[in-house]
Amino acid sequence: MDNNRENLIEIEGLYQIFGEQPDDVLPKVKAGASKEDVLAETGHTVGLRDINLTVKRGEIFVIMGLSGSGKSTLIRHFNRLIDPTAGKIKVEGENIMELSPKDLITFRRHKMAMVFQHFGLMPHRSVLDNVGYGLSIKGEKKTDWTPKATQWLDTVGLSGYEEQYPSQLSGGQQQRVGLARALCTDAEILLMDEAFSALDPLIRSEMQEQLIELQENLHKTIIFITHDLDEALRLGDRIAVLKDGKLVQIGTPVDIMLHPADDYVKAFASDVNRARALSVQTVMTANTEKLEANSVAEAKANFPQDKEYAFVFNSEGYQGVLSKQQIATLNDENSLKEVLHPVPSVRKANLLQKVIPLSLNTRFDLPVVNKAGELTGRLEARKLADVLSPD
Amino acid sequence: MYSKSLIAGVFTLAATSSFAASSCGKVEIADMNWNSASFMANVDKFILDHGYDCDAELVPGDTMPTSTSMIEKGQPDIAPEMWTNAVSELIERGVKEKRLSIAGKSLSDGGEEGFWVPKYMVDKDPSLATIQGIIKHAKEFPNPENSAISAFYGCPAGWGCQISGGNLFTALNLKEAGFELIDPGSAAGLSGSLSRAYERQQPWFGYYWAPTAILGKYPMVKVDFGSGVDKEHYMKCISNNSCLDPKVTMYPPSPVYSITTTEFEKRAPQAYAYTVNRSFTNAQMNTLLAWMEDNQADGEYAAENFMLNHEEIWSKWVSNDVKAKLDKAIDNL
Amino acid sequence: MAQYPVLLFEILFMIDSSWLTEFPDMSRRDLLAIRQTLDGAYRTFSRAYGQSIEDFFNPLLHFLIWFENLLIQTPWWIVLIAIIGLVYAATRSWKLCTGVLISFLAIGYFGMWEDTMRTLSIITVCTILSICIGIPIGILMAGSDRARSIITPLLDIMQTMPAFVYLIPVVMLLGIGKIPGVIAVVIYAIPPVIRLTNLGIRLVNKETLEAATAYGATATQRLFGVQIPLAMPTIMAGINQTIMMALAMVVVASMIGVKGLGQPVLKSITNQYFTLGLLNGLAIVALAIIFDRVSQTYAKRAQRHMEGSDNG
Repeated sequence: MDNNRENLIEIEGLYQIFGEQPDDVLPKVKAGASKEDVLAETGHTVGLRDINLTVKRGEIFVIMGLSGSGKSTLIRHFNRLIDPTAGKIKVEGENIMELSPKDLITFRRHKMAMVFQHFGLMPHRSVLDNVGYGLSIKGEKKTDWTPKATQWLDTVGLSGYEEQYPSQLSGGQQQRVGLARALCTDAEILLMDEAFSALDPLIRSEMQEQLIELQENLHKTIIFITHDLDEALRLGDRIAVLKDGKLVQIGTPVDIMLHPADDYVKAFASDVNRARALSVQTVMTANTEKLEANSVAEAKANFPQDKEYAFVFNSEGYQGVLSKQQIATLNDENSLKEVLHPVPSVRKANLLQKVIPLSLNTRFDLPVVNKAGELTGRLEARKLADVLSPD
Repeated sequence: MYSKSLIAGVFTLAATSSFAASSCGKVEIADMNWNSASFMANVDKFILDHGYDCDAELVPGDTMPTSTSMIEKGQPDIAPEMWTNAVSELIERGVKEKRLSIAGKSLSDGGEEGFWVPKYMVDKDPSLATIQGIIKHAKEFPNPENSAISAFYGCPAGWGCQISGGNLFTALNLKEAGFELIDPGSAAGLSGSLSRAYERQQPWFGYYWAPTAILGKYPMVKVDFGSGVDKEHYMKCISNNSCLDPKVTMYPPSPVYSITTTEFEKRAPQAYAYTVNRSFTNAQMNTLLAWMEDNQADGEYAAENFMLNHEEIWSKWVSNDVKAKLDKAIDNL
Repeated sequence: MAQYPVLLFEILFMIDSSWLTEFPDMSRRDLLAIRQTLDGAYRTFSRAYGQSIEDFFNPLLHFLIWFENLLIQTPWWIVLIAIIGLVYAATRSWKLCTGVLISFLAIGYFGMWEDTMRTLSIITVCTILSICIGIPIGILMAGSDRARSIITPLLDIMQTMPAFVYLIPVVMLLGIGKIPGVIAVVIYAIPPVIRLTNLGIRLVNKETLEAATAYGATATQRLFGVQIPLAMPTIMAGINQTIMMALAMVVVASMIGVKGLGQPVLKSITNQYFTLGLLNGLAIVALAIIFDRVSQTYAKRAQRHMEGSDNG
């Protein structure tokens, strides 16, 4: 989406080969031997093959693939839980493969936090102690980090559970603790390994929504692993599709949906109910102007001449739509509020299926506003139709 | 050709094992867990098997359980080396009830018991050969767990000698002299403590008995109590658990018998006659035990060696025709 | 020509067919030479290093004697109060405390107080030693497959080798009494705590451990903050097993002069004093049950919050 963002993480020529002598097998793999041949000839398993990707600061980068595609292996390279057989992993330009063990620990403590599929909570620590884990191993005193941990627990909706133990919580609650633990470290990069896959569908969808909302305020760089394209499309700013350890396609959700790189991706995409999978974010047009006006006079004065209609905002936020034709017929005495078209606003995180009826009920585009009530873009009916109609 | 030889071989094997059992039948011999007894048991097995056509079998044994079992169950049939002092009441009862027969003295001189110190200590200080010297130099026998008192290694728990040793310990006023009576727990514990001391030329003072390999191997001096032997008091009081007023006496020679069940005596009179005759002097036994120790021989190997090389001893125990049978068996060794 | 092989077979068969019925073993002379050489080497070793090895164990011996004297010389009711206090602190269960009280009163009433205190002291020391040595070894084993492949057969040997095989050489080295007793008991009793520490640590949820690593935990922080606490229920089971096995060794240890409940048992076995044997045996059983229940209740209490948690 936003191509001006700087690259935060760059992965170049990453290979992962499992077995006794991976270095001996590497040339063969680099030369293009297939996974099956390598296994048959050398007994080695090719986990990842020539991965090149960049993650931009502040985006949600989804890595999607079926089980066995190597996605969980790949995410463990970002913080070197697994070391690659070959390749570079650069974070802010620094190759983390060259970090000393001590520096690696410092790097993990400050740069990245991770959320796990099965939560990875410490069953012997209370919820509060789990949330503060990242800080406590840095050597911070419990009295110092308690307020922060409590606040994050509150943010994920678990205040009051501080003294409980993970086993006393439901799966969804446990993963909220996992999320709070990751956020509590203030690390810029969040690694989420199938974070919501173990949860019930309803809870999962709730957690996805929560993540999108949190991200609106936090602007973290999130690397999210999933096997579920619906989830990938819903969360991702960009999606990388992994198959048998190889990257098949990297692109925006709309790219993936509308321009699948090969049959594999296509098969995925065709299974998806786009209205339920895509969110407003993926279809909306950003950088929309708004019309700040408290009265008809102000509206007339500020109305953008090149537009057919405008989204009107006052100090209380979004008010409605004013069309160019109306401007001509209105007197300054008219109450602005009464003449505005009551076009509803939508949120970035809203699923398309929720906004389709709204869009059908009006001839205008729908304004997209954030939590604070500010305009972030608009949703054009034509684009919506494009996305929803299969090929 | 192949199969014929094989079949013939198998038949021979089967025939030899079923044949022997006919005349004196199955005989169980107690194989006690010390060398001389195990050796004798193996000699008995060899001679009974080959000279009397018995089907002899060794069963593990120990003084107490074996004598009880012989009385109560009639098994095993033979206990070749029984130190009857240790179980005198039991044996007397068994004989009275016609369940046990005392066949003969397996050690004609009897066993030798006493309190001993290593020879190297006596060489340095001859006074240590007497109990007065030991008491005077009590400090030279430190207790490893409490240096303030001295150590006297007693007889292993549960052995008959624990009673006699304990009574003599009291009679000799060793406690007042600063000694503690240490229970070594087992014969292995007792001999282990002795060989440890001997290997390092350290002091040691305790109960031991002969004939044993240990006393054959490590020259020891029997401490003289200066009292001579009072056999009557020993039998009445020292060897008795309820001895109230023990007096000092040297150990009388301890009778060591071959014991059989009365049932065996009746069933196989000829074989029984052999057990009556079979007897060693202490000198013979010490030589044999030393040979065993040097060659790390078990009872079986020692018995074979004995049959091969000591015809002058065993030939006196058996009749001529039995001897002829045995010679034949020895040739096959 | 064709008959040759058969003929050869015949000759072999006729001349020496003993290999068919008897195992073709080493000649007695060679075996004897080996045995004598090894025994001689051991004697030389014990002569040369016995004293220094003894000196090495001296502090332990002093501690053992001090601890035993403490238990025996302190008035019985103070010891009893201390024991009940410990049991209550560990279990918070009055029911257990009552059981312990009754057991010890019965033991004392039947005249086994002193022997029981001796056994209690040696078992306590052996257990502490086993834990102090066993847990680090278990950790080492869990951390390295190579260490595991070396240690596992050693543990098998320790558990199955008849105790006397190593007891008597130890007696040659260190004399009879407490130290060889402790060594024998520890050798026999330590394998469970090592095995279960290894197992416990290896069974620690992989993701939980990964989480610790991902948040920048050092190896030490992982070990003490995650692996050991999570392995604790398994380790406690190992400690429990170790205590039971140590108690089972009490009688064997008494065979090399270790004082305590084992000696009367041994005495009663050889003398057929059935009641004496039964009473002392029951005292050992009582100690075992007390140790077992207390350590299990303690473990359960300490791990309460982890119940039913499998992290998934």
